[in-house]
Amino acid sequence: MRIGVFVCNCGTNIAGTVDTKKVAAEALGFADVVYATNYMYTCSEPGQQEIQRAIAEQGLQGVVVAACSPRMHEPTFRRAVEKAGLNRYMFEMANIREHVSWIGNDREANTSKAIDLVRMAVAKLRFNAPLFSSKMPVNKRLLVIGGGVAGIQAALDCADGGMDVVMVERQQYIGGKMAKLDKTFPTIDCSSCILGPKMVDVAQKENITLYAASEIESISGYIGNFTVEIRKKTTFVNWEACTGCGACMEKCPSKKAADYFNEGLGAARAINIPFPQAIPKKAMIDAAYCRQLNGKKCGVCAKICPVKAIDFEMKDEIVTEKVGAIIVATGYDLFDHAVYGEYGGGRYPDVISGLQYERILSASGPFGGHIRRPSDGKEPKEIVFISCVGSRDASVGRPYCSGICCMYIAKQAILTRDHLPESNSYVFYMDIRSPGKNYDEFVRRAQEEYGVQYIRGRVGKIYRRGERMVVQGADTLLGVQVEVEADLVVLATGVESSLGAGELAEKLRISYDQYGFYMESHPKLRPVETNTAGVYLAGACQGPKDIPSSVAQGSAAASKVQSLFAHDTIETNPQVALVNERNCIACGKCIQVCPFGAIQWKELRGGIKKAEVLASVCQGCGVCNATCPPKAIQLQHATDNQILAEVNELCA
Amino acid sequence: MTDSNPRSSAPAEDTAANRQGIKIVGFLCNWCSYGGADTAGVCRFKQPTDLRVVRIPCTGRMDPLFIAKSLIYGVDGVLVSGCHPRDCHYAVGNFYARRRMEAFKAFLPFMGIDTRRFKYTWVSASEGQQWQKVVTEFSEQIHMLGPNPGVELRSGEILKVSSGLK
Amino acid sequence: MLETDRNQLHKCVEEALPELDMMIGWTRCDPLQTTPVFIRDAKSISSLTLGPFCSQNLAGYLVKPPALDAPPKPDAKPIGICVKGCDSRSLVALIQEKFITRQRVRIFGIPCGGTVDWRKVARHVELGSVKSADVQDRVLVIEDSTTTHRIALEEVLSRKCLGCRHPNPVISDVLIGAEVSPRSTGMETSYRDVDELDAKPLEERLAFWQSELDRCIRCYACRNACPLCVCQDRCIVETREPRWLTQHVGVPEKFLFHFIHAMHLAGRCTGCGECERVCPMDIPVTLIKEKLNKIMEEMLGYSAGLDPEAVPPLLTFNPGETEI
Repeated sequence: MRIGVFVCNCGTNIAGTVDTKKVAAEALGFADVVYATNYMYTCSEPGQQEIQRAIAEQGLQGVVVAACSPRMHEPTFRRAVEKAGLNRYMFEMANIREHVSWIGNDREANTSKAIDLVRMAVAKLRFNAPLFSSKMPVNKRLLVIGGGVAGIQAALDCADGGMDVVMVERQQYIGGKMAKLDKTFPTIDCSSCILGPKMVDVAQKENITLYAASEIESISGYIGNFTVEIRKKTTFVNWEACTGCGACMEKCPSKKAADYFNEGLGAARAINIPFPQAIPKKAMIDAAYCRQLNGKKCGVCAKICPVKAIDFEMKDEIVTEKVGAIIVATGYDLFDHAVYGEYGGGRYPDVISGLQYERILSASGPFGGHIRRPSDGKEPKEIVFISCVGSRDASVGRPYCSGICCMYIAKQAILTRDHLPESNSYVFYMDIRSPGKNYDEFVRRAQEEYGVQYIRGRVGKIYRRGERMVVQGADTLLGVQVEVEADLVVLATGVESSLGAGELAEKLRISYDQYGFYMESHPKLRPVETNTAGVYLAGACQGPKDIPSSVAQGSAAASKVQSLFAHDTIETNPQVALVNERNCIACGKCIQVCPFGAIQWKELRGGIKKAEVLASVCQGCGVCNATCPPKAIQLQHATDNQILAEVNELCA
Repeated sequence: MTDSNPRSSAPAEDTAANRQGIKIVGFLCNWCSYGGADTAGVCRFKQPTDLRVVRIPCTGRMDPLFIAKSLIYGVDGVLVSGCHPRDCHYAVGNFYARRRMEAFKAFLPFMGIDTRRFKYTWVSASEGQQWQKVVTEFSEQIHMLGPNPGVELRSGEILKVSSGLK
Repeated sequence: MLETDRNQLHKCVEEALPELDMMIGWTRCDPLQTTPVFIRDAKSISSLTLGPFCSQNLAGYLVKPPALDAPPKPDAKPIGICVKGCDSRSLVALIQEKFITRQRVRIFGIPCGGTVDWRKVARHVELGSVKSADVQDRVLVIEDSTTTHRIALEEVLSRKCLGCRHPNPVISDVLIGAEVSPRSTGMETSYRDVDELDAKPLEERLAFWQSELDRCIRCYACRNACPLCVCQDRCIVETREPRWLTQHVGVPEKFLFHFIHAMHLAGRCTGCGECERVCPMDIPVTLIKEKLNKIMEEMLGYSAGLDPEAVPPLLTFNPGETEI
């Protein structure tokens, strides 16, 4: 092989502490190296042309560039050598910047290390072979998991682009947390007025298939070709027939069912449509409260239903959908403030969560939009808001900022004043975080126009005194203890990852952090991609987020899907495992260990079995290669011979 | 793979003198630890220069025999680093690796190879500082142990050791 | 007693042979050793033997080529095979790794009180002059041209037998003779040799293996005899694709070869001792695998070849084991 070595000065980034001239001179002595030089900026246009010129003039068959990290410029140089007629995999990089020049000042040691790294790269390159991508078709259907505002945005964007979309929502209705909100900050526009039309769009778009009250059972496949099994949970109501007339709800005698939509503040019927604008507007029976399903004689709903949609024998159903991309928009759940014993541990009915207060404010809520306290239904006079409940508190395992609470408290305080002009609102806060557009102005309006009293300090204790709640805390600005007697205390409960986020991540094979939030591929430059190709993130499943950010991410994820779907085929990564059938002893260990089910049996003539890699499923981790005893399965571009070649250079 | 190039046999510049000093080979997974080492570089976190990095896709690719090969043939230290458990780019590669390397680590000293010459660890792409710490500490440890004599018998040396086996 | 057991074996094989493709067992070849015999014909059954001279593990014959390449037809008759306790664990491991199916074998299990290591006998008598050998009441009685030697069986048992925990077959269809009680029940006694070497300083351990492995001639007998070394001629110590080893004759190459052999058996080796038995250079190569077996047992609570349903520990993982 005729190899050329190009050592980059990177201005002074490398040349400052590495003798690049010497590295190039040494490289000329390595096996198969016929050309070596150093260059000021190898990644620049003229730098790349220099490589291409040398390939042509010297008849190079392989190229080594000693420069920055391959994570930075490997794609750049691969393109460059490809343009000059080489296969893009006949190229290796030696990282002499991040791994050498930037981490040590000893010029001699750095130079010697750089020489070693180039020696290793050349040694590996001598075992490189041209690799070729193949093309596989893209199934241009999208799966959106989660029907909150982020998922809705993503689904509508893609549906508008003409793509088929499958939406799976765990709840009986779409809209997510936003559907429960009364108004939104900082514009105080009505949440259901802006979300409602989008929800209706989801229901009406012909190219959106909605599975509500459904969950993901399993996911297999890979980018462009996923197969998804969806579990349609038992609703006991035939939704094909149900018209959402609500007659069943009116007559249902079980009137004390849990009202999840109202955050437990009211009571629902055992057969229920959670709110008037629900999409899909279909009834569902809560098996825990239904008389008929609990062995009592009832069946009233079945008798009253004009379309005979009630089916007490209904079972879960599994449906299979094939899609080419997945957007995960599973949102968040609310921190359970019961862990705070000093705030009553959830025992006081008048110490409520932020989302409960949102339902109280809402016209479709349990009190029809009149602010009353849950315990006795009286109008509160003094209302205390406490921020950072389950946020920025390492003692409850939630050291992160939930990002939305400061703003929703300000909004709720403003709305409280609007509803009850005679009331007084107090906010205990640690810091005010309001970095969005018009956000800080909004908080100031709460303080200045609406007279909300902001007290900087933590609340130490909440206890009952007669009918009221006593809030004890410190005002750290004045350095005094503060006590407020309140009729209602609203805890700004923080954001935590959605229930079951980890299990779904395992099914999707995407990473999640210690709090259960999904990991983006790069925190800055790949914010909606995951490390699993074809799976994208939107909304608060990736981390706490407000509505504008969730919607923006929904659209961002949708645009990623659209650029994927703009192609009929995608190129496969050829750096996958390959079986040398002559050496395969059919022990099946590779099949056993492959995390992706990418290896299967292949039967040759005479019934002889061999392992076979499905190149389009293989992700290139190499577990099979490490496992295979005769090393018959080799991960292309990281073969045993290639790794050994690098190691051998250090063994000598 | 022909060695037609006349320079391939014993190049003059390639002397033993150039290869002296401690050499540590690092097998770093592409997604986390290689990125972590890059991050350390970008942040200019100074580190000892003994480490030579081999980029592998995943610690799951790590056959303990690569470590055996290195230590038997006199590489002074072997450092393997990958994504933290549960953060594997390939979901479970590092779980396989952990078992294999842990067993191998326990096995090395039985064969007379100092197990302190091998270390595996988990460093994510954002943990530049952690990477600096790992490299610095491991390099110091290898310097303390000195050059790895490997397993080759020194010339003329005849060993008489009673096996004690019945 | 041996006589009774042998008769029982003959009778059982006689009954079973019509349903078998063939029967694999041992036959006497010289006074101190037996050799494998493959029987298809009822007349040859009488040559089958058992007892302390039957040291070879026959399980390997089930998977070595050509069985490797040509899977048996679904209607193929089962193969009969004689196994001692240790041999039966090899069978379990092979069944577990799906190299053979349970239905494929008819297992004649033979409880074993230990096998004779002829090398140890050679310390007492001139092997060439031995006329006959027999074991009576755990005493090895050897007749040579001049005298009768009486050697306590303990003195000449194979090393692996001294810490044996599974003298009785862990899997069998027919059990020949009475079960015997294990010589060892715990890790303390079964890994005595490993612990002894481990107690020495690191330098001495290195010197020990340098001196032992220096003798290795890389004949690969240990590998060929191993019932679980299923790669055979595809073994990476000989291939160029990939090329792990050169032909250079140096101690490092020998070390690496034995590392490869050991690591490929980690979590799979059942400790049958075949590798050591066949070593022409008298290198205690089983000891290397014993150490790994001990690690697997201590670290992961796993002993190979006991449960046909178990997954070898290095082919699986447990996310929860943060500090193994």
